[in-house]
Amino acid sequence: MLNTLKELCLLNGVSGDEDEVRRYLVSRVKSRATHFHADAIGNLIVFKKGKKSTGNRLMLAAHMDEVGIIVTRITEDGFLKFDFVGGVDRRVAIGKPVVIGKKKVPGVIGLKAVHLVSREERKKAPKTESLYIDIGAKDKASAEKLVEPGDYGAFVCQPEEFGDGLFKARAIDDRVGCAIMLKLLEEDLPLDVTFAFTAQEEVGTRGAFGAAFSVTPQVALVLETTTAAGLPGVEDHRRVCAPGKGPVISYMDGSTIYDRELFETLRRLSEENGIPWQTKEYIAGGNDARTIQRSKAGVRVAAMSAATRYLHAPASVGSVADFEHMLQLTRLFLAEMAQRLEEGIKIERE
Amino acid sequence: MNYEDMLGRLCVLSGPSGFETHVTRAAAELLRPLVDEVHTTRLGSVVGVRRRGRENAPRLLLDAHLDEIGFMVIGHDEGFLRFAPLGGVDPRMLPDREVVILTDPPIHGVVACLPPHVQTAGDMDKSLPVKDLYIDVGLSREEAEKRVPVGTPATYRGGCAPLGEDLLSGKALDDRCGFAVLLDVLERLKGKELPVDLYVLGSTQEETHSTGAITAAYEIAPQMCVAVDVTHGDSPDASKHETFKLGGGPVIGVGPNCARSLSGRLKELAKELDMPIQLEVMSGSSGTNAWPIQVSREGVATAVVSIPERYMHTPVEVVHRKDLEDTAKLLAAFVESLGEGEETC
Repeated sequence: MLNTLKELCLLNGVSGDEDEVRRYLVSRVKSRATHFHADAIGNLIVFKKGKKSTGNRLMLAAHMDEVGIIVTRITEDGFLKFDFVGGVDRRVAIGKPVVIGKKKVPGVIGLKAVHLVSREERKKAPKTESLYIDIGAKDKASAEKLVEPGDYGAFVCQPEEFGDGLFKARAIDDRVGCAIMLKLLEEDLPLDVTFAFTAQEEVGTRGAFGAAFSVTPQVALVLETTTAAGLPGVEDHRRVCAPGKGPVISYMDGSTIYDRELFETLRRLSEENGIPWQTKEYIAGGNDARTIQRSKAGVRVAAMSAATRYLHAPASVGSVADFEHMLQLTRLFLAEMAQRLEEGIKIERE
Repeated sequence: MNYEDMLGRLCVLSGPSGFETHVTRAAAELLRPLVDEVHTTRLGSVVGVRRRGRENAPRLLLDAHLDEIGFMVIGHDEGFLRFAPLGGVDPRMLPDREVVILTDPPIHGVVACLPPHVQTAGDMDKSLPVKDLYIDVGLSREEAEKRVPVGTPATYRGGCAPLGEDLLSGKALDDRCGFAVLLDVLERLKGKELPVDLYVLGSTQEETHSTGAITAAYEIAPQMCVAVDVTHGDSPDASKHETFKLGGGPVIGVGPNCARSLSGRLKELAKELDMPIQLEVMSGSSGTNAWPIQVSREGVATAVVSIPERYMHTPVEVVHRKDLEDTAKLLAAFVESLGEGEETC
């Protein structure tokens, strides 16, 4: 799975420009899927028959897009003005290389030398409007030959193993979810599963609307990453979760109160099978689950995430053991659901 | 000189001030076929000498520094590394920055930052000082303390690659591009009889206190010296009055740090070569090795020739290939033009 993840993290797929990732996913799923299709917004919906015929009742979801930039204007001097796509702390973009558009034109996000900056100015992060990309064009006309407004740009980071048992790459959020789903697609499944590789999660879980609508699942498990903020100097209550402590099973985040019974099920399955797990100790963020949950007459949702440091930044860091444990726990979850979903979900609220 | 290849090779090497061995070793190998002798000074600088063959020939020193800005590990906190800057680091370059920690073998690190999800807009408007930043090497507390002891240096991770058709972008172009220019000068002078003993110096520790150049200049005792370094290039966020145009030609320094005879000669030669140049008027220190070299022993006639460079001291510094070529061409002509009994002030 780690090799698949490395391949996935080399692809560029900023929200709205996921073609490269989707093409790769199609190449990997076409011999494994019962059927698959890409929809209008760019989701890739893959259905695979399992041992028990449960139809569309269970959906796994992971998003294929990532945060990045979009070119808004080309200046007379041949520099590119841009905006961020998705939530990026602009401070992580300064002085970073990017690649822009289909031609993958290399550029750098420039900032004048520190020597030319006043002491006061040094204390502030430059505003996004003042940032620009240098692609080495001598004027507007030469820049226009390479790039046009609306071109997307992705950050650059070599995927590789890091420290002891960690993995560093761009877009671990959420290629790790995609990698887990690809692995499961290669296996014999205990029940029918619809795998939704969603588009545009980072700009407001846009892909999940159509995906949940067309699939109409009863239960959905979102495979994701979440913010590990355990750095020195950060108060304990803001640390959220930590890589290496097992999959993060969420009871609640900034936009979803998860199905308590599914939360308890995932927790029980990890404990019974000796898989470490943790939960978020800070309520923040959100993912496709929020949109899936509110689709049509409602969907019971759960989320399992890899605790990842430096989320939404070019170099993110997660734990390989966590990724493997997420795969294992998802398998156990599918086995459990095979039992329960055969007859359709029961409304078991008391 | 194929600058793309040469700088691809030189910039990827880690050589923060005081820890330049990887770079000086490569520099010595590159110099060897171009000079009569190569040696390393007590403080690690590399010197290549082309002798004229006559005793007491005037000595001309061409200097470019081989070190780069970097970091020094000064402590540990929960497995993360505390660090201090080595040279003029811009802390705004640091969040989520990949670095190389110079343990043996080197390991990779990332400067830790918080995700936007747990920060306020106000948090994200502030730039973080180095003292509040940590390097993540993915190790436990015990392992980090064992494998990365206090005192371990580090640099930005990266190399050098083309940017558009004309530019090159990378880390440590300040001042490896100056050293590449000096290699080009030696190539251009190959087989030619020189009027001087020519010393090419790849100096250490410029970014901290010019220590390498100060000591090497004492040892070499030149009559004349040209420091070849970078100066600020134009960029959209910088004033046109304090920057120089990329592709606009070599920048010749003028002011108390620059002997008028030498600056004047450089200007004249550029005119003869029909080469565009830019003038940098410096009312005091040039901020280059020329400043301390000027007062070495009983004094040295110094000049400063600079290459315009955008985003100095960042991992994405940018220079123009033509400026590098023109600087080499101009300096080669300068070496050849020096006659006997040179007026040096």
